[in-house]
Amino acid sequence: MVTARSLTKKFGKIVALQEVDFTVEPGEFVFLTGASGSGKTTVFRLILRDLKPTSGELIVDGHKISQLLSRDLAHYRRHLGPVFQDFKLLPERSVWENVALPLEVRQVKPDDIFASVKIALEMVGLTNRSHLFPSQLSGGELQRVAIARAVVGKPKLLLADEPTGNLDPKTGRGIVSLLKDIHSELKTTVIMATHNADIVNHFSQRVITLESGRVVKDTPKGKYDQ
Amino acid sequence: MISNHFHVTWTRLRRTPYQTLVSLMVVTLTLFSATIFFLDAAAAHKILRYFESRPQVNAFFKTDVIPNPQQIDLIRTRLEATGLVESFKFISKDEALKIYRDLNASDPLLLEAVTAAMLPASLEVSAKNPSDLKLLAEQLKQAEGIEEVRFEENVVFSLIRWTKSVRTARIALSASQAFITFVVILSVITARVTSRREEIAIYQLLGATAGYISYPFVLYGAIGAASAWLVTYLVFLYSTPFLSSFIFQIPELYPSVVFMLEVLGGELILGSLIGGLGGLFAARRFLRS
Repeated sequence: MVTARSLTKKFGKIVALQEVDFTVEPGEFVFLTGASGSGKTTVFRLILRDLKPTSGELIVDGHKISQLLSRDLAHYRRHLGPVFQDFKLLPERSVWENVALPLEVRQVKPDDIFASVKIALEMVGLTNRSHLFPSQLSGGELQRVAIARAVVGKPKLLLADEPTGNLDPKTGRGIVSLLKDIHSELKTTVIMATHNADIVNHFSQRVITLESGRVVKDTPKGKYDQ
Repeated sequence: MISNHFHVTWTRLRRTPYQTLVSLMVVTLTLFSATIFFLDAAAAHKILRYFESRPQVNAFFKTDVIPNPQQIDLIRTRLEATGLVESFKFISKDEALKIYRDLNASDPLLLEAVTAAMLPASLEVSAKNPSDLKLLAEQLKQAEGIEEVRFEENVVFSLIRWTKSVRTARIALSASQAFITFVVILSVITARVTSRREEIAIYQLLGATAGYISYPFVLYGAIGAASAWLVTYLVFLYSTPFLSSFIFQIPELYPSVVFMLEVLGGELILGSLIGGLGGLFAARRFLRS
C-alpha cells in the first residue's frame, strides 16, 4: 500500500527526513512513532502530497507521489482518509455536514451521502450528536467526528496524525480502539502517528520508529516493548 | 452538483451574514457604478450618433426640371448601393413651396411673389457616418438634372473632430472604469477566499478539485452582478420621469427591456468570471503552498 525508498525531505538546510525506507502492506495497522520533530508529520504530509519529496521515492496505492500532477491530486486524495491532531473540522458546518464533506466534494448523490454518513456516525457512536456544531462538542467527540469524516468515503488508507495528541489518556485510548475496530471491520490500511508510548504498548501493533528523520527501528506486530 | 453549491453558498451567507453582506455590498456597489457608467457611455454613444445623423447634403435640381419617380429611384439606388446612406428624402416643388411658406409666414409680401414653379425640387441625404457626406455630395453632383449640391463641410469636419475626441475620451474612461471594477471585485473575492483559507485547505485535503472550490465564488460573483443590475434598473425606472425632462428629444436614450436584459447577461458573465478567477487564483495559490 505504501512504499518509501530512500525518501528524503529537506526544508532549506533543515533535513526533515533522510533516506527513509519502509513498506506498509494493504490491511496493516502501523504505528509511526518518535519524538516531536522526528519526521512523523512530514511522512503524513508526503503521503497526502501536501509536500513533495526532495529525493527518493514514495509510492502510495500504485501512485508515485513525486510524479502526481496537480490536476490528479484531488482524485488521488479521495483514496485517503486523513485524521488530524487539531481535527480540522469546519466550524460553520454541523457534525453531519462535516462528515458528509468528502462525499460532497466527490459529487456523490444525496441519497448515498445520507446512507454513508448515517453508517459512519453510527460507527463512531455520534448519531445523536449529528445536528450539533464543532463548538458544542468535547475533544473526544471532535476526534470521533474527524474519524467518521475520514472513513465515510471508504478510503484505502487511513492516516491518523497524532489523533490522541489533544486528548486525555482515557479518551485517547478510546479513539485508538475505535481506529482498531474500523481497521478490523473495514480492512482499511491504517498508519497512525503517535509519540505516546503507552498507546503503542497497549495496542501491540507493528511500530516504525523515527528519530531525527531516519527510521531507527521497524518492530513487527506484538514485539514492541519500550 | 449545482444545488449543492447553492446550498454551500446559502449556508455561508446564513452563518456569516455580516461578513458576507458587507463584501456582497461592495461587489454590488462597484458593479452598480460600473453599470451606470456603462449605460451613460451607451447613452453618450446614442447622443453622438444622433448629432452625427443630423448633417445632410442638399442637392437641388434645375428649376425647370420636374424630376420623375424613375429618376429619383435611380439616384436613390445608386446612393444606397454605396452602403453609406442613413436617410434619403425627395422634396418636390410643391413641398418646397410649403416649406418656404412656413418659413416666411410672417411676411406676406414674400409669399405673394413666389410660386412652386420658381423653386427647385431637391434631395436631402444624410450619411451613417458624417465623414462620408463629401463622397455622397460628389456622387450627387454627377446625377442627371442636379444643378447645385450643398453641405456645410466646415461644420461637418468640426463635428467629426468633436465626436471623435468625445469617443476617445469615453473609451479611455470606460477602460479605466472596467479595470477598477475588475480589481475591486477581484480584491473583495480574494480577501473572502483568503479568510476561508483553512476551509479551502481542508477541502483540498479531502479531494476537492480547484473547480469545486471555485464554484461558490462564481455564484457569489453572479449574485453580486444580479443585485447590481437590479439596483441599476430600479434607479432607472424611478428616475425616468426626472430624466425625461432632459432627454425627451432623443427617445432612443431610454434603455429598453431587451437592452437591460443584455446588460444583465453581460454583468452575470462578468461577475461569475471574476468570482471564478478569484476562487481559482486562491485555490492554485493554496495548492502550491
